Amino acid sequence: MAAPDLNTNAAKPADSVLTARALTRHYHVSRGMFKGQATVRALNGVSFDLVPGKTLAVVGESGCGKSTLARALTLIEEPSSGSLSIGGHEVSGASAAVRKQLRRDVQMVFQNPYASLNPRQKIGDQLAEPLVINTNLSRSERRDRVQAMMQQVGLRPEHYQRYPHMFSGGQRQRIAVARAMMLNPKVLVADEPTSALDVSIQAQVLNLFMDLQQEFQTAYVFISHNLSVVRHIADDVMVMYLGCTAEKGPRDALFEKPLHPYTQMLLSATPSLQPDTSKPRIKVQGELPNPLDPPPGCVFHRRCPYATERCKTEVPVLRDVDNRQVACHYAENFL
Amino acid sequence: MSLLEIQNLNVRFGGKDAIPVVEGLDLTIDQGEVLAIVGESGSGKSVTMMSVMGLIEAPGEVTANRLNFAGQDLLKLKGRARRQLIGKDLSMVFQDPMTALNPSYTVGYQIEEVIHQHLGLRGREARQRALQLLERVEIPGAASRLSAYPHQLSGGMSQRVAIAMAIAAEPKLLIADEPTTALDVTIQAQIMDLLLNLQRDEGMALILITHDLAVVAETAQRVCVMYAGQAVETGVVPDIFQAPKHPYTEALLAAIPEHSLGERLSTLPGIVPGRYDRPKGCLLSPRCPYAQPRCLERPALEPYTHNGISGSVRCFFPRNLNPEQWPEVLPESQRPSHLPGEAHGRA
Repeated sequence: MAAPDLNTNAAKPADSVLTARALTRHYHVSRGMFKGQATVRALNGVSFDLVPGKTLAVVGESGCGKSTLARALTLIEEPSSGSLSIGGHEVSGASAAVRKQLRRDVQMVFQNPYASLNPRQKIGDQLAEPLVINTNLSRSERRDRVQAMMQQVGLRPEHYQRYPHMFSGGQRQRIAVARAMMLNPKVLVADEPTSALDVSIQAQVLNLFMDLQQEFQTAYVFISHNLSVVRHIADDVMVMYLGCTAEKGPRDALFEKPLHPYTQMLLSATPSLQPDTSKPRIKVQGELPNPLDPPPGCVFHRRCPYATERCKTEVPVLRDVDNRQVACHYAENFL
Repeated sequence: MSLLEIQNLNVRFGGKDAIPVVEGLDLTIDQGEVLAIVGESGSGKSVTMMSVMGLIEAPGEVTANRLNFAGQDLLKLKGRARRQLIGKDLSMVFQDPMTALNPSYTVGYQIEEVIHQHLGLRGREARQRALQLLERVEIPGAASRLSAYPHQLSGGMSQRVAIAMAIAAEPKLLIADEPTTALDVTIQAQIMDLLLNLQRDEGMALILITHDLAVVAETAQRVCVMYAGQAVETGVVPDIFQAPKHPYTEALLAAIPEHSLGERLSTLPGIVPGRYDRPKGCLLSPRCPYAQPRCLERPALEPYTHNGISGSVRCFFPRNLNPEQWPEVLPESQRPSHLPGEAHGRA
């Protein structure tokens, strides 16, 4: 699965709002005075398309490149190679003016609503800021737009004049979602938006995400490590491991019959309210390898219960198997 | 006799008239039992266990009719006697393994410190015992890890070390406060397996504090659900998941996105009441879809036995129990209202 997905010309859906092909981000890190630089392949050739009104969930353990992907999509960081096009415009080589326009179209919601809001600015002003920067609306028009969005996310008009510390975690995350939606973006990237919230508040915020998507037909990239949340909200799921795609496909296919051993392991490790005692749990082995020194061959082979000699040397490519894409030599065995 | 007996525990911060963070809590745990305490943030689950461990300091104030551990009164125990008990027979694993370990000492030194304190071993014997413990918690290459510093370990490994320290003196009761919340799901499965294996092999009792009901369903035998400082329901697994008795337990379960494939999740409106907006009757009543005029009084935690399964519930109109006694569900406008406060969310 370490093989970069070189299939850069794969057919893309006609209505794709964001297309990523072989998206790669490498970091060069110093290892001290006498050693050379090392390369961390945080994102190693990832391809997908986003369609309006649909949600792509990205799952994987910490260190698998989920957040690097989010930063690349929101143009916070330049990808090392690969192509990213938003609404038909290629990002690399675009002029500053085009980039500014493209940034409007991809907005982000962060994990921690306690850190992502400015504690010294009133909620109304924070929500109006994207409009100040990106539009020529008058003060009263901005105020109307902010009030309308606040109502949409379940905040009351009097909240306009309040500061972030006066809100609970769930309300703050609503504010963060409202701010991201102010410019009516084509794509919303949400990086673990509910993992800091309690389960009953999480349910409220998930409902909000689904309502907004229905209303505005925004495409979501939903990054999460919680598979029950992913199963609830996603249309398509992409499982990442050490910067690469392990398995990618429609939600039901992946959850009902996972073909990559890593997907199987993740699903098996997720606790359930109705534990199925008939199926033995797949014993989870080891931890994510050091990204500075990834294993040769299939990067997952050291933790894989089915690994063979072939897996230690030959890198599996992402290929089509049964309605989804899998990067495993033996995916057919699990059909 | 129960291993740990808590009767009418109250914890307050700031004076006699302060609102209790934990109010009238009764709880017992037997030898070799796995009990889970679940609830949302601010429900008082961690404070309860911190008061058992004696970690509440002034201005915090702990009172109880009974707070007994293995026949000893924890409230009367002071100084040296207390230090001999805590960490030996009664120990705790915390949520964030990165802050639970001292960054300036090696893993081996920190484990040996516990062994020296409680078992009186020193030098080679202590080192030998520390090595056994690291092997017991399944740390690969245990011998080389003894001289490692905490920053050289991953989160999962650090949590294993913290567990090794907690079980060093073979405790009778281990309290694990959100032991896997900071960890990935694969590592969570490993740590939970480890804790349960230890619990089974050593015959110790385990109290698991968590907000993750799915983890509870897979591990615990008995559950105590807390809301705003009170125990609202206790029951056994899996009965409490199949037929929850308190509306809050029912709502918590319904809010979990499992098997709900894209449907709207049912939610309780509003948030947990804080110290300044505590309702006067049942604490859940402003958010409860079944609230009745009687809910302006405060219900007590009443034991019940139903189909041979016993538990207790703090509700005048429990669910899944005597349906013939259920009153009609009132429309929202007719439910009792305490405060027009927006924090209760009935907007």
